[in-house]
Amino acid sequence: MMHHRLNRGSTIILYGCLAAIVAAPHQNAVADATVATQIAVIAKVGPQGKGSAAARAARDDLARRDVEILPPLLAAMNTSNVVAANWYRSIYEEIVERGLARKETAWPIEFLKEYVSDGRIAGRPRNLVLALLDRLDPEYRKQWLPTRLDDPDFRGEAVALALSAGEQALRDGKSDLAKTEFRKAFDHARDSVQVTQAAQKLKMLGEPADVHSHLGLITNWWLVGPFDAPEKTGFATAFAPESKVDLGAAYKGQADKEIRWIRHKASDALGQLDLNGALGATREAVGYAYAEIDVAREQPAHLRCGADDNCSVWLNGRRVFAREQWLNGTRFDRFITPVTLVAGRNTLLVKVCQGPQHKDPEVPNNWTLQLRLCDEQGRGVAFRSIAPE
Amino acid sequence: MPSSIPRIIAALLLVAGAFGSSAKAENWPGWRGPARTGVTGDMGVPTSWSATDNVLWKIPVPGTGTANPVVWEDRVFLTASDGRDQGELNVFCFDRDTGRTRWHRRLWGTAPTLFYPKSGMASPSPVSDGKHLWAAFGTGDIFCFDLDGNLVWQRALSDEYGVFENRFGAASSPLLFEDTLIHQCDHYGESYVVALDKATGANRWKADRPEVWLSWSSPQLVPIGNRAELVLTGSEKLDGYDPRTGKWLWTVRGLARECVPTPVLANGLLISVSGPNGTHFGVKPGGTGDVTTSHVAWRNERGTSFVPSGIAVGERYYVADDKGIATCLDSATGKLLWRKRLGGRFTASPVAADGRLFFTDEAGSTLVLDAAQPDYHELSRNDIGEDVYASPAISQGRLFLRTAKSLVCVGTK
Repeated sequence: MMHHRLNRGSTIILYGCLAAIVAAPHQNAVADATVATQIAVIAKVGPQGKGSAAARAARDDLARRDVEILPPLLAAMNTSNVVAANWYRSIYEEIVERGLARKETAWPIEFLKEYVSDGRIAGRPRNLVLALLDRLDPEYRKQWLPTRLDDPDFRGEAVALALSAGEQALRDGKSDLAKTEFRKAFDHARDSVQVTQAAQKLKMLGEPADVHSHLGLITNWWLVGPFDAPEKTGFATAFAPESKVDLGAAYKGQADKEIRWIRHKASDALGQLDLNGALGATREAVGYAYAEIDVAREQPAHLRCGADDNCSVWLNGRRVFAREQWLNGTRFDRFITPVTLVAGRNTLLVKVCQGPQHKDPEVPNNWTLQLRLCDEQGRGVAFRSIAPE
Repeated sequence: MPSSIPRIIAALLLVAGAFGSSAKAENWPGWRGPARTGVTGDMGVPTSWSATDNVLWKIPVPGTGTANPVVWEDRVFLTASDGRDQGELNVFCFDRDTGRTRWHRRLWGTAPTLFYPKSGMASPSPVSDGKHLWAAFGTGDIFCFDLDGNLVWQRALSDEYGVFENRFGAASSPLLFEDTLIHQCDHYGESYVVALDKATGANRWKADRPEVWLSWSSPQLVPIGNRAELVLTGSEKLDGYDPRTGKWLWTVRGLARECVPTPVLANGLLISVSGPNGTHFGVKPGGTGDVTTSHVAWRNERGTSFVPSGIAVGERYYVADDKGIATCLDSATGKLLWRKRLGGRFTASPVAADGRLFFTDEAGSTLVLDAAQPDYHELSRNDIGEDVYASPAISQGRLFLRTAKSLVCVGTK
């Protein structure tokens, strides 16, 4: 990821420098080289405040220049090093403020529009440039934003516009147009709130919308539990399913009760599994959830999960996530782990720990899990549940 | 380190200023004022005002935040956040006399996290020593500026040590001690306290807090003879550290799991509160090891607050809990002196000056009490006309109120 960003950034720096030369042919090569050198000095800031004094000197020098350095400066701002990005931003803010105070400033408008539309560039500097374009070309945002439905950084705002258009169409009695707008919103939304909003509207209009599938939520599970895990010992205690998943097996559970795997489908709108409801309300326990899915091809994916109190996840027999925390809430996409799904059958085993009751008896002792598989942008992986019957 | 004694003395004088009889105009350099207790030796603050009366100036403040204003001589500093995921960070410097914006710096936060809508990412209060300003945010970023707004250094603690996992956004305000800036980072992930070189941002020391999870309280500095102790509240305990090395010294157990208030000093005791339904502790600092049985001078379970800190003036300790019940205890014994329903709900912590206590509720009404009276003695109620979640600041005879939308300077001259 970092490698990719740096490569992308390097390409854009080159692009930015070329744009600067084209935009300002009178600048001599020495001045361009100085700008590039100073930008490079700032790029070296890092942990422990390292490089700050040199960055400050370079910053002060660059901030005295004019809008002709915006292309290389903005190119440099496309970095995952936020500390460096803030140094660059301080230069940008100063130059832009000065430029806006003058009438004759020669803004590189076309460069700015290309920059803001380049989805490969980080959203932070693009937002900054969009705010500048609001000043320079007040109509631009209105025309531009609805086209950004697939833009990772502006998708949410474009989807919000589609949702608003759908609402307006409903108020105008134009149900076909409303369906089109809500469908557009649903198809492009990646945020769970927007996905849910669009789905509700579509269903209200008699249209299908499968939120679980859209987000890649796992809802068909086999469950077993509760295993006895006094106090907070559950996380570190490996019960039998961690050695072998045998859906026909019987185990000794809490209070020596025999426990067996049961089928369970999470009916929650966002696929949250309630283990208290499925296995019986309890405390100081461990439950396991098991699923099998079939995917068409090998693919990278995000495994996104959250649990109350905590969970550990094995994908195809390998533990890919574990985080020991107690008294947690299950929150959507709380933990994100990059994984690779194999073509065909994939197995998921999840251990969900339930801790002691909070000392305040009014605090609910929830025991829940939410897990999904999606791409980097949050669109659900296409899979078929093949958990054995 | 021969130069350390004068520096310690200077730091302790700063702490002592909160209880002193000095009538000089004071700065409000950080969270809860000169000694992080809400108390100042400043004089001449009005006791009556309204949305228009005794308002010297009022300016809109964009964004969200509950950081208290910081006042250093003729400058007022404030932080706020806005934008997507509250990831746009703002540091403002206003003119103390007019409210005019002297400078405004916009920065990016490193890591998004959950946040409380009332506070965004700007819950921690900045701090100044009169030469620099340090501003921390819930994103895990700390910035150092000179007083003219020039960036000196930045630390992205989230990049270096992991995202601040926090369901309401981190709120701990950094503390200046000698030439270090100490920041408490208690969260769902791996918690720690770190001391940064205030000039360069580099670590002086970092102490992991492995048993600790989420809290929002701020560190406190306690003078012990000719040295000082650093006290942190969180995860059912109060911990004492050596502020020069980060070495753990002592623990008192029995606090709430999630702590917000900052402890205060009174009559040689450190008074901590963590609620709701928790306990006030009067603790003798200076112990070693688990001092729960040996150093707890008193406990009282009445009126414990979740968010607002308490305040000690003279022989009495006061707290207004989140639901607006005020409790007054004898700070030496913990004995209950009085309780009173104030009305309103409270997020802001009280402040005190000139023998008066100022409790500001969420609706923007500030109740002024006479701290010289042993019983509840109300002097006035003053409505600023806007919601208030941030603690006020007092400096140079003026009260600075950060409302949900504005910064208001209350004063007569």
